[in-house]
Amino acid sequence: MQNEEQALEDGKFEAVTSPVSAFDVWANFGDDNTMQEESVVQAEEGKKVPFVGDKEPLSTLAAEYESGSPILLEKIKVLDKQYSAIRRTRGDGNCFFRSFMFSYLEHILQCQDLAEVERIKMNVEECRKTLQKLGYPDLTFEDFFALFLEQLEDVIQGKETSLSHDELVFRSRDQSISDYVVMFFRFVTSGEIQKRSEFFEPFILGLTNSTVEQFCKSSVEPMGEESDHVHIIALSDALGIPIRVMYLDRSSCDTGGVSVNHHDFIPAAGDLPRTSCGSEASSPFITLLYRPGHYDILYPK
Amino acid sequence: MTSSSAAARKALSKIASNRLQKELVEWQVNPPAGFKHKVTDNLQRWVIEVTGAPGTLYANETYQLQVDFPEHYPMEAPQQVIFLHPAPLHPHIYSNGHICLDILYDSWSPAMTVSSICISILSMLSSSTVKQRPEDNDRYVKNCRNGRSPKETRWWFHDDKV
Repeated sequence: MQNEEQALEDGKFEAVTSPVSAFDVWANFGDDNTMQEESVVQAEEGKKVPFVGDKEPLSTLAAEYESGSPILLEKIKVLDKQYSAIRRTRGDGNCFFRSFMFSYLEHILQCQDLAEVERIKMNVEECRKTLQKLGYPDLTFEDFFALFLEQLEDVIQGKETSLSHDELVFRSRDQSISDYVVMFFRFVTSGEIQKRSEFFEPFILGLTNSTVEQFCKSSVEPMGEESDHVHIIALSDALGIPIRVMYLDRSSCDTGGVSVNHHDFIPAAGDLPRTSCGSEASSPFITLLYRPGHYDILYPK
Repeated sequence: MTSSSAAARKALSKIASNRLQKELVEWQVNPPAGFKHKVTDNLQRWVIEVTGAPGTLYANETYQLQVDFPEHYPMEAPQQVIFLHPAPLHPHIYSNGHICLDILYDSWSPAMTVSSICISILSMLSSSTVKQRPEDNDRYVKNCRNGRSPKETRWWFHDDKV
């Protein structure tokens, strides 16, 4: 499980703090302590990293740790053998969903796998039914579903509305689209967790002291809430999409020789998408790089 | 005027306006028990009459809630959800009408609606065992005299027992 307390490398990515609760006083209302000021800081942070960055060679990752931990530098060398590029996402608590969004849509755009598009649409319809059965009024989620399906249609080429790769990047940086798609994934994730609450309950109890429903209301549905393994498992299962996560942290194994831990999240059931339009069969086509508190996108060689 | 108050005057986006229209229709078909929406032609500001639930400290009392919506509702929480004067006497409601309730601020999500906010507020009223202001009422209200909206406060939420 992700350790939110873990110190962040070089302070580059800010962990989103857990929600404050159960305090007797709300306190701290001096003029220096307004939300307004906080959002100014966030806005400045935002200018540095767009929601979805440009594709950068993996060497930029090594440069970031130049004078950092030797273990990390060794691990980056290992990554460098398998991966050619990284695409960063903004550290705003939505980075897992945002990385997933871009990576998936980019895959469809590049592979034009129409069978996969039909497959995921069926899963999306299942997710819609799940939310309805859980008692969510349609009006709360339908706009988010419609916006995702629209993006999915638009990455299919040969239509008037078809997106080029540049346009996909542009849309992923447009808050009015990007945040809606992120929220679509949050709905899907929340629905899946609640539908299979007996499966997810033990994981959730390990993270917080709350019920499954409370967890979804406080840690899945609000924008900016960071994702943990629970979120990844649920999203991967609900949409039927395998996800590989490479872990860049300071952990090392005793057996000598540095390796980079990874985990493949393989959906529980149903038809899996064909692997990829290129290279290696059998590995997930979405690969994310995890550093404590943050996810970016990795590109295999 | 703070910049945030200025933002409150920005017109609703198309998507926000559509969503609120849908919420309004749903409200008319299926209003939350204990609430009456006062119909106006202003979609961006709802004034709602609340009646305390029977068998609670607020039984038969009526209050007015005002809900203002931002340009990017529901991605953003309502600009403010406040009680108009006089606000109910409650340990989490300040005399200026501001309400200390996490879903209105940090825990907001687009999965919520005006109707679900109302239900949470009524449940907060119903579970109260004492009619009194928050301990820090005077200090807080004095601090808000410049017209600050409750969204700009960094809230530390009271326990959820009340």
